Amino acid sequence: MNPLTQSLISGLMSGAVYALLAVGLVLAFHTTRVVNLAHGESFAIGGLVAATLADAGLPAYVFAPVAIAASVLFLLAVERFLLRPRRSWPIGNLILVTLAAAFLTRGVLQLAMGVDPLSFPRMFTGAPFRIAGGVLPPQGLALIVIGVTTAVAVTLFLLFTPLGRKLRAVAENPDAAELLGVNVDRARSLAFGIAGALGGLSAVLLVPLVSVDYQAGLGMTLRGFIAAALGGMAPATVILAGLGLGLSEALVTNYAGALAQDPIVFIALIAVAVWQSRKIAFGGTGRA
Amino acid sequence: MSRALSIGVAAVTAVLLGVAWLGWIPGVTSSTITATALRALALMGLNLIFGVVGMLAFGQAAFMALPAYFAGIMDRMGVPLLIALPLALTMVVLLARAVAEVLVRLPGVYLAVGTLGFGMVVEGLARAFPSWTGGASGLVFEHGRNFGTNVWCAIAVVSLAFGVGCYVWYVRGAVWRRLRAIRHDELAASVLGIDVHREKAKIFTIGSAYSAVGGLLLFHYVGVLIPEDAGVVRSLEQIGTLLLGGAGFLVGPIVGAFLVDWFFVISGYAARYELVIYGATFLLVVMYAPQGVSGLLLRPWKRLAGDKAEKAPVVEIRHSVAAVSSDSRVSGRPCLLLHNVTQSFGGVHALVDISLDVKAGEVFTLVGPNGAGKTTLFNIVSGVLRPTSGRTLLDGVDITDLPVHRRAALIGRSFQTPRLVPELSVLANVVLRVDQLSPKLSEQARQAIALEQLRMFELENLSYLSVAEVGLGQRKLIDIARAAVGNPPIVLLDEPAVGLTSAELMHLSEMIRKLKRQGCAVVIVEHNIEFVSNIADRGIVLDSGREIARGTVRDIMAEESVKAAYFGALS
Repeated sequence: MNPLTQSLISGLMSGAVYALLAVGLVLAFHTTRVVNLAHGESFAIGGLVAATLADAGLPAYVFAPVAIAASVLFLLAVERFLLRPRRSWPIGNLILVTLAAAFLTRGVLQLAMGVDPLSFPRMFTGAPFRIAGGVLPPQGLALIVIGVTTAVAVTLFLLFTPLGRKLRAVAENPDAAELLGVNVDRARSLAFGIAGALGGLSAVLLVPLVSVDYQAGLGMTLRGFIAAALGGMAPATVILAGLGLGLSEALVTNYAGALAQDPIVFIALIAVAVWQSRKIAFGGTGRA
Repeated sequence: MSRALSIGVAAVTAVLLGVAWLGWIPGVTSSTITATALRALALMGLNLIFGVVGMLAFGQAAFMALPAYFAGIMDRMGVPLLIALPLALTMVVLLARAVAEVLVRLPGVYLAVGTLGFGMVVEGLARAFPSWTGGASGLVFEHGRNFGTNVWCAIAVVSLAFGVGCYVWYVRGAVWRRLRAIRHDELAASVLGIDVHREKAKIFTIGSAYSAVGGLLLFHYVGVLIPEDAGVVRSLEQIGTLLLGGAGFLVGPIVGAFLVDWFFVISGYAARYELVIYGATFLLVVMYAPQGVSGLLLRPWKRLAGDKAEKAPVVEIRHSVAAVSSDSRVSGRPCLLLHNVTQSFGGVHALVDISLDVKAGEVFTLVGPNGAGKTTLFNIVSGVLRPTSGRTLLDGVDITDLPVHRRAALIGRSFQTPRLVPELSVLANVVLRVDQLSPKLSEQARQAIALEQLRMFELENLSYLSVAEVGLGQRKLIDIARAAVGNPPIVLLDEPAVGLTSAELMHLSEMIRKLKRQGCAVVIVEHNIEFVSNIADRGIVLDSGREIARGTVRDIMAEESVKAAYFGALS
C-alpha cells in the first residue's frame, strides 16, 4: 500500500465534504451577510437522523431523503424564525444568534440522540477500487463524485440561471433587489434550504465511512468556513478551496502526523485571512 | 457607566459574596466561589475585547490555558513557582501582543476565524505534545493543594476585586469614549484621530492578560488542565456566559460567571439537561435581552442615576485649542493641494488626474452627480484611501502616505449621515475629538473646550442630551462642530445641507461663514445648488471621475457642459 496515494484519496473525500459545506455557507452568507455558525448542525442532524432511521431497519432510499429533509428544515427554521425577524440587526449580533442556535441544537441532539457516536451501513457496497497503491471504497468514490458534482451544479445554477442571478442580486444589494421585484425573503429561504440540503447530503455520504455524534456540528462549521474563507467567499473558488483544504490536511497528516493537522491548517488560514484583508480597511465598512 | 453606579454594584456583589461564603445560598460553597471568581476575572478580559470594543474574539480560552501550560511545563523542568508564574504570564502577554498585531487588522468575520483558529492551534499543540502537556489526560498542578479552601477563596476574591479596580481606573473618561467610538464606527473613530488598530491591539493585550491571570490561578486551583480547556467550545461557552451576564457592563462577567456556575451546581442532578438548558438560555438572551441580565437589572437604576452622572460641573477654563493656529493663518494662502490624483478600483477609474488648490479662508465645492467621485476625493484627502497615483499636500507638506489618524488633527470631516456615538452625550461626542487633539489636558479642561466649541456654534443647549434625543439635522450640525474642533486648516463637509430644516440651513450657513472667518479651508460636497451658490467661492465639477469644469461658482453653474452633465434631466 502506498501511503501517499492513500492520503490523497482520503484528502479528496474530506475535501468533497468541505466543498459541500463551504458552498452552503457561502450561499447563506451572500444572501444574508451572516456567517451562519449553526451551518454544521445541518450535518450533525442529517447524520444522526440517518443513523437512527437505519438502525430502525429502514432502507437507504427512505432514510437518506428523510435525513436530508431534516437538515433542510433545520436551516429553513434558522432563517425563518431566528434571522428574518431580525433583519435590521447588526451582523455581529446575528452571528451570535446563529452561535446560540448551534449550542441549543447541540443540546437537543444530545438529549434526543444520546452521546455515543453513531453510524449506518454504506449505500454503495462492493469491492474497493485499488488505484496506484491506494484503496478507495465505493462509498468514498460516490462521496467524491456526488459531492463535487453537486457543488459544481449549485455553482452553475448560481452563475447561469435566472433564479441564481436573483440570489446573487440579493447578495449584492438586498434593497435594490427588492425594488427590482426580487422577493428577498424567498431568496434567503431558498439559499438556506439549498445549504441545508448540501449539509444533509454531505452527512449521508460521509457518515458511513466514519461516524457522527451530537457535537460534530461546530467542527464542521469551522471546516466549511475555512474552505469558504480560503476561497474568498465566492462559490466557484470555494469548491477548489474545499478540495485543497482536504488534500492539504491529508498530506500534513501523512508527513507530519494527525496531531499536526489543526495547527498547520489554521496557521495557513490566518495567513490567508491576513493576505485577503490587506486591502479592507476598518472592519469592511464599505462606503465612507 | 457612572462611578457611583459601579461602586454600588461592587458593594452589592461583595455582600452577595459574603452571604454565599457563609453558605446561605443553596449549593454554593467557598470552593465554588473561588472557581466562579477566577472565571469571572478571566471573563473580564473577554468583556473588554468583545463586550466593550466589540471584537469578535472567539479564542479567549486559549489565553486562559496557555499560561497554565507554560507554568506547568516550567514547573516540571524544575523552575521555582515564584519565577515560573510571572514568567509564564509575561510570555503569554507578549504572545497576545504579537497575535493582536496580526489579528486586529482583520475585518470582523476574519478576526472571528483567526481567533477561533488560534484556539484550535493551541488545543492541537496541547494534544500533539503529550510528553509536555500531559496530552488528553491533562496536565496536573500539585502546588494548589498547598493552600486551604479559605486561602484560595481569599486569593480569588482579592484578585477579582483587584481586576475590577484596575478596570474602573482604566476604562473611564477619554479611554471609555475612545473605546465606544471604535466599537460604534471604526472609520469615524479614525477620522477623529484615533489610531484604531493600536487601540484594538492594546485592548486585546490587556484583555488577554486578564484571561491569563484568571486562567493561571483557576487551573492551579482546579489542579488539572486538559486540551479541551484551550479549545473552541470553551471559548464559545465564555461568549455565552458573558452575554448572559451582560456584555459591555463592568459587572457582566461577574453576573454571568456566577449564574452559569451556580446553575451547574444546582442542576447537578439534572446533568443530562445541562447543555440544552444552557443553549436555550443563551439563545433567549441573545434574541430578547442582548444586554444580558445586567442590562435588565441596571435599566431602571440607570434611568434614575444615568442622566445626572454626565452633568458633572465643568470648571470654566478659558483654554482654547482654537487659538493656537488661527492667528498665523493668512486667508488666500494655498492650503490644500492635490497633484494629478488618480484612483482606480480594479479596472474602474473613480478619479482621473484631478488637481486642486484650496486656499485658506475659502469655501470650495465639489459638484457632480452620484458616482462622480466626490466621496472618493474626500476619502483621499482624509487618508481613508491611498490614491493610485498623485500627491496630496497640506500647507506645503506631502501627506499622501500619512495614515488617517495621523492627519486627523489637520483635517476635520463630517459625514453625510452623522457618525456620532449614540450612547454618549452630545458633549462627550465633542470631547472625543478634543481627547485626540489635546491628550495632555485634564478631563475638565477638555470638557470645557468641547463646551466652548458647542457654544461657539450656538449648540450648547444640546450639550447634555444623549445623541438619540437630538434630531437628525441637529446631529449633522453637531458633527460639523465636532469636525471643526481645534480650528483645523481643512474642514470637509459631506452633504451638510441634506435633511436640514430651513432654520437649520441658516444655522449651517452661519457655521460655515464662521469657519471661513477663522481661516479654515472648507470643502463641501453638496447637491443643494441654491445653498452651494450662496455659500461657496469656487468649485470644481466632476463627472465619472473626470473634471469637466472649474472656477467661481457663478461661472461653473453657467457652463454648458455642467448643465448637460448635472442638470441633464432638467434642461
